[in-house]
Amino acid sequence: MSNDKDFEISAPRKIKKSVGTKTFEGISYLLLTLGSIICVLPFIIIVSGSFTDNTTILTKGYSLLPRDFTFAAYQTIFKSPKDIIQAYKMNVYYTVVGTGLGLMMITLTGYVISRKEFKYRNTISFLIYFTSIFGGGMIPWYLMYANVLNLKGHTLAIWFPALMSPFLVILMRTFIVGAVPDAITESAKIDGAGHFTIFFRIVLPVLKPGLATVGLFLALGYWNDWYRSSMFSTNSSTWQLQFYLYDLLNATTAMKQMASNVSMKTADLPTESVKLAMAVVATGPVLLFYPFVQRFFVSGITVGAVKG
Amino acid sequence: MKTKYLSGISAICLILTLPFFDWIKLANLVALFSKMGVTMDMAANLYTGYNLYNLLSFVQYSGQGTLGLFAMVLLILVFATLYFNIAHIVRALLNDRNKAKAPNPHKASDLPLLAAAKTAFLFGIFTSAATIAFVLFANIKYKVAGFIPGASVFLILVISVAAYVFTKKLEKVERARYNEHGFAHEFKKNWVLFIMLVPTFVYFMINNYLPMLGVYFAFTSFNFRDGLWASPFTGFKNFEFLMKADLFRLTKNTILYNVVFIGVGNALQIIFAILVSKVTVKWFKKTSQTLMFMPYFVSFVILKVIVYNVFEYQYGLINNFVTQAGAERIDFYNTPSYWPFLITFFYLWKNIGYGMVVYLATIMGIDNEIYEAAKVDGAGELQQIRYITLPHIRPTFIILLLYALGSIMKGQFELFYQLIGNNGVLFNVSDIFDTYVYRITTTQPLSIGLGTAAGLYQSIFGFLIIVVVNFLVKKKNPEYALF
Repeated sequence: MSNDKDFEISAPRKIKKSVGTKTFEGISYLLLTLGSIICVLPFIIIVSGSFTDNTTILTKGYSLLPRDFTFAAYQTIFKSPKDIIQAYKMNVYYTVVGTGLGLMMITLTGYVISRKEFKYRNTISFLIYFTSIFGGGMIPWYLMYANVLNLKGHTLAIWFPALMSPFLVILMRTFIVGAVPDAITESAKIDGAGHFTIFFRIVLPVLKPGLATVGLFLALGYWNDWYRSSMFSTNSSTWQLQFYLYDLLNATTAMKQMASNVSMKTADLPTESVKLAMAVVATGPVLLFYPFVQRFFVSGITVGAVKG
Repeated sequence: MKTKYLSGISAICLILTLPFFDWIKLANLVALFSKMGVTMDMAANLYTGYNLYNLLSFVQYSGQGTLGLFAMVLLILVFATLYFNIAHIVRALLNDRNKAKAPNPHKASDLPLLAAAKTAFLFGIFTSAATIAFVLFANIKYKVAGFIPGASVFLILVISVAAYVFTKKLEKVERARYNEHGFAHEFKKNWVLFIMLVPTFVYFMINNYLPMLGVYFAFTSFNFRDGLWASPFTGFKNFEFLMKADLFRLTKNTILYNVVFIGVGNALQIIFAILVSKVTVKWFKKTSQTLMFMPYFVSFVILKVIVYNVFEYQYGLINNFVTQAGAERIDFYNTPSYWPFLITFFYLWKNIGYGMVVYLATIMGIDNEIYEAAKVDGAGELQQIRYITLPHIRPTFIILLLYALGSIMKGQFELFYQLIGNNGVLFNVSDIFDTYVYRITTTQPLSIGLGTAAGLYQSIFGFLIIVVVNFLVKKKNPEYALF
């Protein structure tokens, strides 16, 4: 899926542009610039807030550009980095384990339900799809992990529930069907290759774009999740990064409340700018990688929108 | 034909499963009731014989929560048996017609009919065996021979087993004739594929299918003394309470928000996709697309930070501007009327890029010669969009719309929770099913039954919407149907 090639299509160079076309293009540029600004502005607010002196925020409020530029917030964070490093470590752990195992299971499943000679492939596809249109609800799901399997406080409860999703399984099946023509697997079969040989030697090597796309969707989901920590964690040392951030936001709010109750000076603690700096640190990796991996997400959602 | 006998047997099973016969009889009443702690008052509500349909009322009036889940499973099984027997009989009646209509007359076998028969009898076996297991379970639990299975249970068990074996034999003959294979053959041939599916099977069982049994809690009133498995069965009390209190508000909020999200979202996504496709400067095209897709990649916790920064009362960006302009501060976090707009805005902020990418890919796939020809014929920009672009993205739109309708009762839990959190002032305009149930799960364990009931209502309502919409779409244009 190369974007550059697609972009060339809509450039009519031979026919002279009419006034209507020109007006329309002008409007396009205007609206797209506006849309882009609206999408980026919040990030700028966060970043500049993280570099603004905390007292300035408290007296003058948040602003678009940093006022009284300072690294104080980042220094505060990295003065006692133990907690955030722990949260980072756990997040990397969940992301790596979850993405690795999930990708393996999704690919195997996608392979099985793409085999034409497999009699039950449609039944199994439907049973997987069915989970996305009907479920027992959140509480039975929660009780399954917390009370039946007794996984409350265990890291397994945080990465296991997000290993697979019907959307990704169907997406992977579409990728496999597109990447490996039946004729090739058929001839390999005639040569005596088993399913594992076909899977590892023939399917996997040509499936790199599919693996990258599904893997990135999984990884993004794991990196950005906070929800399972809020349900299953009993100890702050197992928190996901986003939940650590979430807790920090609420805790500093609570702290401020308390300080104002006993009329103590909150300005001693750079609470506001630290929150923002923490948000920058937590999102950094995602936005850093984003321009390079964007095309995989684009291919994923365009392939996924075609009915599987 | 021998298949006629099978449907006759199904009819007998069907009659036996109807609620005319006692499947479970109570005996040694005095000893049993004293073991169960049933008082005279409670005993007035009890019968001496039960079928699987009213067994739950026994659980309720005798206060035996421990038996509740088992009784519910029996109820589901008996309904399944009823359904599969009827399905089998209907199929048998239509069999000749179906065979005549089959596209390939050489393959028009009785195998589908036999498979239906097998399912029906198998469920007959399951149900009767499970009833016997229930009786044993209860008797061992109370250490009294207080429950006795009725004659019809054994009758169904024997009939079903015999009929199942008979069906198997017929199937074998039929398979040999049409050169078809069954599960055993498939397993022998493709056992590797089954092995590959084992982790997936475990995952979906734990994460999705087994929790479905937990809907039982919707019919109980949880308390800590009895615990999850023995809390009293209360029938539809939770649903009644929900109906009086929150159900209307939750349904209204969930559906309204989703309708707005889907409608406005798709419209804006299409508009922006068209705009991007009109841009000829490459770097601008790429950059605007990248920037507008970016919000999709940040977590909702970051969204919380952003919203807080912009709308906070004292330090927020907007109030900053407002006070600089000399006006009064706006108290966003205590004024519900702003939030429907804010929630919608930030939904759009996060999701415009995603749908835009899909529509853009479709628009890029349109043959440019069509536009050229239209231009030669003098069509303006708007006319080109109206008569070329929009008709071409219709299929994509319908597919996205169907996907979205599928989750119309679910909706954006993380968005709502991170924006509103536990701010009770705003619940009236912002509470959806997911946030309501989440609050109960994490903070009010005593309302577990209520929360499960809300979740079950949400699931069933959403499921019905999908099935109905899919049915209508399938009738109109089968290509677009989801399943």
